[in-house]
Amino acid sequence: MNPPDSAIILTEGLTKDYVLGAETVHALRDVDIRIDRGDFVAIMGHSGSGKSTLLNLIGCLDTPTAGKYWLNGQEVSTLDDNELAHIRNREIGFVFQTFNLLPRTTALHNVELPLIYAGVSAKERKATASRALDAVGLADRMKHQPAELSGGERQRVAIARALVNEPSIVLADEPTGNLDSSTSAEIMEIIVKMNERGETIIVVTHEQDIAQYADRLIGLRDGFIERDERRATSSLA
Amino acid sequence: MNILETVRLALLQIWAQKLKSFFTLLGVIIGVTFLIAVIAVVEGMNRYVQDDFAGSIFGINTLRVERVRTRNTGREDAATLRRQSRNPDLTVDDAEAIAANVPGIWYLAYATDRFMPEVWSGSNRRKNVRLLGVTDEYLALQGWDVLEGRGISRIDHVRGIRVAVIGDAIAERVFPDGSPVGQHIRLGPFRYRVVGVLKKQGGLIGNIRDASVVVPLGAYHADFARRRARIEEINIKFRTTEEMEAGEAVVIEVLRRRHRLRPADEDDFGIESASQILDAWEKVKNVLLAALPGLVSVALVVGGIVIMNIMLMSVLQRTREVGVRKALGARRIDITRQFLAEAATLSSVGAAIGIGAGWGLAELVDLITPLPAAVSAWSILVAIALGVVVGVVAGVYPALRAARLDPVDALRYE
Ligand SMILES: Nc1ncnc2c1ncn2[C@@H]1O[C@H](COP(=O)(O)OP(=O)(O)OP(=O)(O)O)[C@@H](O)[C@H]1O
Ligand SMILES: [Mg+2]
Repeated sequence: MNPPDSAIILTEGLTKDYVLGAETVHALRDVDIRIDRGDFVAIMGHSGSGKSTLLNLIGCLDTPTAGKYWLNGQEVSTLDDNELAHIRNREIGFVFQTFNLLPRTTALHNVELPLIYAGVSAKERKATASRALDAVGLADRMKHQPAELSGGERQRVAIARALVNEPSIVLADEPTGNLDSSTSAEIMEIIVKMNERGETIIVVTHEQDIAQYADRLIGLRDGFIERDERRATSSLA
Repeated sequence: MNILETVRLALLQIWAQKLKSFFTLLGVIIGVTFLIAVIAVVEGMNRYVQDDFAGSIFGINTLRVERVRTRNTGREDAATLRRQSRNPDLTVDDAEAIAANVPGIWYLAYATDRFMPEVWSGSNRRKNVRLLGVTDEYLALQGWDVLEGRGISRIDHVRGIRVAVIGDAIAERVFPDGSPVGQHIRLGPFRYRVVGVLKKQGGLIGNIRDASVVVPLGAYHADFARRRARIEEINIKFRTTEEMEAGEAVVIEVLRRRHRLRPADEDDFGIESASQILDAWEKVKNVLLAALPGLVSVALVVGGIVIMNIMLMSVLQRTREVGVRKALGARRIDITRQFLAEAATLSSVGAAIGIGAGWGLAELVDLITPLPAAVSAWSILVAIALGVVVGVVAGVYPALRAARLDPVDALRYE
């Protein structure tokens, strides 16, 4: 089966089981989704419903127990370890709840990391990473280490890092989970702007407020897709 | 690019935890310190024994007879030392008996010497001089080159003519301008005509030779000796080691007979050759060199194991970092390389410290003992290579563990 051109993500019967001794946890069951270029999707659901599992599969960090997954028309399950690393490097931008910046190095170096693994020269790397930090309003924080930045600033560094290689898709797992509500709003504004510039975005969240920013809402329950609805209006506050 | 950055970060890490790093690297440091210092001492000693010591004091295939052994082995008991102190003086007749009876002699020379407070010419003087009275073959036998003029001739010796061959340091001081040859120097009340200048030797032992005045034994005995027939040393040079070994037995026999020793009596003179000293040194050197690889490898293996443990801990502590790097596109090889570079940097720093410490130790030995020690370039290269190799070997397992981490598990790791 060939996926249509506009589908950036297409899954068919995506399943993830964890075997723990005699017990099997069905983290994800038979998930079919299709996400198009430029979509802004929020994934919601109770704790343990499989949101992170789904995001990790989409981000090629994890491999499914069963089912198929096409990213940009390419079937991911056929790829080896190095090819998956290449996809994570070029096609995917991750934003984590706990920021996951490398401690004891500068914001600039953190943003440079994806460029390092892309084999970009040092000079070009610096320029590109600086531009990405500038775009999230951190031009004056480049030499700061994560410990010297506020939570919101750290998450903005992480967003700059996710965007620096111009990925096809940005995956954010509870990006505002560790932030207060006003800082959360700032971060979501940045994500909305990214989406307006054409970036495809998937955000996992617990909070209705955050999901409001997205155009489409996927609800998970016990590893099933419970609902999948598109909002008519964009929700700029 | 990546490697340089890794090295820089590893260095920062090491510097941030100086004490911990020091103990981590102790094994490598000790191993390399030993390596550098022992090789420096052995090589310095080698050069000293072969070039300076054996070569210039004894000469190859040369026997030296003295009243008592000057270079003791250090194992003589008090009785032996007391007995030696009663040995009779060596005489010109002893030397001539050897010359007449020992087969295969190439050169034979004998000499005696004393300290002179000064020599001078006009207003220029040199203090603290060694005055040597020698027979004509002495300079040739010792391999002392005459740079200018001539040496001591048979006629000088037999007739006791007042001529002198002077060391470089004396020529420089007493005759600062112009050639000393043909000029006169004053030795106490006597005037000696300078006929030659010795080539400068320099160095520890050379200082003595360079400050020597060499005169014919006949003149020495006439002008400076209280007991005319007494000599300090008889040097006998042979063409081959076999001839020397055969000759040594005959020399001993001749002297024992002249000194009327009974078969049960100990020798009442000392006889030494360079080969004895070379043999002794060879033994010491072989022990040092045989023990070295063992010592160094034990230290390096221990050092490697410690580094491996530290790296495993580091991988564990940085599991999340590995997860992040993988999420950002690091391949297994990138992670492997990063941890390998870190381990190699770590142990190279240990090697560098060891090189410094070994160098210091060698300098110390050089300073406070008469052993010359010089750190050789190749031992430094070996040390650096060992440092890198130990690091890489110790880093392989931790690095592979890091590289094999599952990204999702690694990111979830607390
Ligand atoms: N490595 C694992 N081993 C075993 N079970 C796992 C593993 N990872 C996830 N699970 C299980 O799979 C299910 C889905 O987990 P997942 O992390 O996707 O949930 P989530 O929706 O992201 O929850 P939360 O909102 O708490 O982050 C859970 O029941 C969880 O316990
Ligand atoms: Mg989750």
